[in-house]
Order: sequence, then structure tokens, then C-alpha cells
Amino acid sequence: MRRILFVTLIMFLLLMAAVYSAENDTVQPIFSNSKYNNSIENYKIITEHFTGEWQKYGEPFTILQKEYVRKIYFWILIAIPGIFVLHYLVIGPKKFPHEGNKYLVFTVFNRAVHWLTAISFLTLTVSGLIMIFGKYFGGGSLVRTFRFIHFPSAVIFVPLGLVMLLMWLREMIIAPGDITWFFKFGGYLSKKTENIMPVGKFNPGQKSWFWLGTLGGFVMAYTGYYMYSFAASTDNLRIYAIIHNFLGMAMLIMFLVHLYMSLFAIKGSLKSMLTGYKYEDEIRIMHCRFYSKLSGKDCSK
Amino acid sequence: MGRMRFLCDVDRCIDCGGCVVACKEGHQIPVGVNRRRVITINEGKPGEKSISVACMHCSDAPCIAVCPVDALYQREDGIVLVNKDVCIGCGYCFFACPFGAPQFPKGNSFGARGVMDKCTFCAGGPAENFSDKEKRLYGQNRIAEGKAPLCASMCATKALLAGDADKIANIYRERGFKRGSGANAWGWDKAYNKK
Repeated sequence: MRRILFVTLIMFLLLMAAVYSAENDTVQPIFSNSKYNNSIENYKIITEHFTGEWQKYGEPFTILQKEYVRKIYFWILIAIPGIFVLHYLVIGPKKFPHEGNKYLVFTVFNRAVHWLTAISFLTLTVSGLIMIFGKYFGGGSLVRTFRFIHFPSAVIFVPLGLVMLLMWLREMIIAPGDITWFFKFGGYLSKKTENIMPVGKFNPGQKSWFWLGTLGGFVMAYTGYYMYSFAASTDNLRIYAIIHNFLGMAMLIMFLVHLYMSLFAIKGSLKSMLTGYKYEDEIRIMHCRFYSKLSGKDCSK
Repeated sequence: MGRMRFLCDVDRCIDCGGCVVACKEGHQIPVGVNRRRVITINEGKPGEKSISVACMHCSDAPCIAVCPVDALYQREDGIVLVNKDVCIGCGYCFFACPFGAPQFPKGNSFGARGVMDKCTFCAGGPAENFSDKEKRLYGQNRIAEGKAPLCASMCATKALLAGDADKIANIYRERGFKRGSGANAWGWDKAYNKK
């Protein structure tokens, strides 16, 4: 009797299990599910496995790279120095007799950071430009070598850029009158040095170069790291490459401006970054507010 | 001269990976580089599909457009090839490619990636045909020998077709017709022949 009861119980449990599983059968009949039979759907899923929707970022990247990037860089390298030559011939450089007291404007630390950053930045710029115009250098091992230099230069640049950011942060904060300075180019389009607008230790041109050089440099480093490592989705790599190449243009322009101002437009500028000293007469005119702060005297012209 | 193309029949590909193995073995390709690969979707579910993809040898190829050193070029028969002596390994072709075809082996210098490697349609490279340099840098040159690419030649189900564009398009069309769709669908001749 017990045996019969036991078997009946087992049978009952099995029946219940069968009913339960039949009710919860989640497998859909093959042909009723259109999701699996729509070849357009299938092709979409297949496409996702490659590099994403090409038209979204791949096509813009290709068009920009093919039609614009190299051309814009070429015209930057032609036009900006051209404007400088014109400025030099028409308006001429700013010269100062360099008389009177001299003030230590840049400490040894300031100068060391400036020049180390400058060297790594120059390496980055030159190697980057050689890659962009690689086909005129014939590609191959020469251009490849510059590509290998590009990455370690960035590794050196980033910490120095960070130090520079902290070092000059306070002086570089936007001050009142900086916007109007831009509209009048700070008075640099006039032959008379008296027309140079009063600024603090750094003028708004220097400030914008500072912010672009440091913060822009970090964006370049971030995007460049992924272009180097491929450690992102293809669509992201495409966006990073576009940012890298267009931000590079802005940085190149500002770098050329900085080179022109320091090497040609203001005589003695290079020397002051080497020795750290600036003369009273120059500071009084070029950095009026800074002069008042240093000497306690009025800088009125 | 014909226009060389690949065509993968997703209704025939069974994800056996034979094409991948044939390519890797035939061209002595280093670890980490896959000139060809098979992608499977809906794996294990109804409607599972597989497709084998390498470089598609596009007309108006984006990789050629973006290469900063003009290392890539297209032959008259449509095959896109890379000159490894010129390539600098910048990776722009990879960003531009819709199929993820360009591959980069790990290089020796600073761990930076080496020059680009991709499917050659088994047509070697810019080096002299059948030279040691060609074999070392680009692999076999089966096209110059008058043979079809390795992957398509060994494909067990003949899902992967490679060759002249018109011919393989014809094969695919006839196949689709025989496989059954519309008036040629299975059973139609018996069931609906008589009105």
C-alpha cells in the first residue's frame, strides 16, 4: 500500500513539473518571430559588430581628413607667418632702450618649467606636422621615427604643463578689461608704444596662450593617448582624432603668435626669459599694472 | 580587367572559421593580427547568422583617402594594398574603415604599434612578385599565380565568394533563386502549378 502511494506521489510530482514547464516554455516558434527573419535587422546587428554606423562618425572623419585637415594646416603655416612679416615691415618691432632698474620677473623655477615645456612642445609640434605632411617626406622610417617621438614628448609635456598651470594660475586669471584688449589687439597694431593698453604681469594674449597651451594640451594628451592605444570604441577614436587635429590647429596658431612676439616683435623678450630680468622702461609700458604693483609708482605715460 | 570583390553569403556561412585559419596559416600572420574574421549574431538562438569579413577592397576606399603618407593604393582590378615601407602605423585607416579591416601588430620601438597589415586579396604587395620580401611582408601572391584567395578557395560551404564582381554576383543571384523565393519557392511547382 505504501509503495502504491509513493509511486502515485512521484507520478503526481512529475505531472505537475510537466505542466509547469509547458506553461513556462519561453522558446518562441521560429517563424513567428520576425526579429530573427528580417534580413535588414540582421544586417544592422552585423554592422554593429564591426565599427558601428560608419555614416555617423566614420564618414565625417574621412571627409575632414581627406579634404580639410592638411589644407588648413598648410594655410596656417603660410598665412600666419605672412601676417607677421607684414606686421614687422609695416608696424615694426617694439624696441626699448632698457634703461633704469631691472626686476626679476621670472624665477629660475619659472624659467626651467618654461623651457622644458617649450622643448617638449616644440618636439610635439614638429613631429605632428611632419606626420600631417608625411607624404611630402615620403613616409617610411623617417616619418615613422617622428611618430615614435610624438608619444614620449607628450609624456614629458603633460606633467610640466600641469606644473606650469599651477605656477602661473593666479596671474593668468582673466582680469577686467581683457575682453576690450582683444578688440584693439592691445594696441600692438600701432607704431607708438604709448598706445599699448595697460595690463598686469601677463597680457590677455599671453593668457589665452597659457590656457590653450595647458588645458588644450591636456585635451590633446587625452585624445592622443587613445589614438595611440586604440583603447576605445572606434566611434570614440574617430571623435578623438577629429578633436586632436582641429585643436592642434588652434594650438599651432597660438604657438606661432608666441614665437613671433617673443623672437621678433618685442626685442629683448627672449633674453628676459633666459635671464629672468626685465627692465623698468619695458615693464612700465608693456605691463603697466604690473609695474605699479612692483615699484609702487604710477605708470602713466 | 575584372573588378575583384568579396561576397559572403550569410545564409551559407556556418562559422567554421576555416577561412580565418587558412588566411593566418597561408600568409604566416603573427599572433594578434586577423586579416579575416567571422562574426556570429544571435548565437545559439533561432536566426543565428554568421559572416566572414576581411578588407572589402572598397571603391573610393576611405583608408586611401585618410592616409597621411599615401601608403595605400588601389590596383586597376580594385584590390587595395598597403606599402609597408611607406606606412607609419598612425592608425587613421583603422578610424576610417567601416569594417575594422586594418590590423596593427605590436612593434618593437617603445611598444608602439608597427605598420598596418590587412587582407591583400592574396595579391601580395608592392614588392616584386614572388620575391622573398613580398612573401615576408605581405604573404602569398595567389592572384599572380592565377588562383583565387585562400579563404574563398577553401570555404567548405562556398559561402565566401571572391573574384570578378559580375561573376560572383551571378553565382549569388542563381543561388538565391534556387534556394527558393517567390515563384521558385519550395513546393510551389507541385502545389500551385495547376490552377
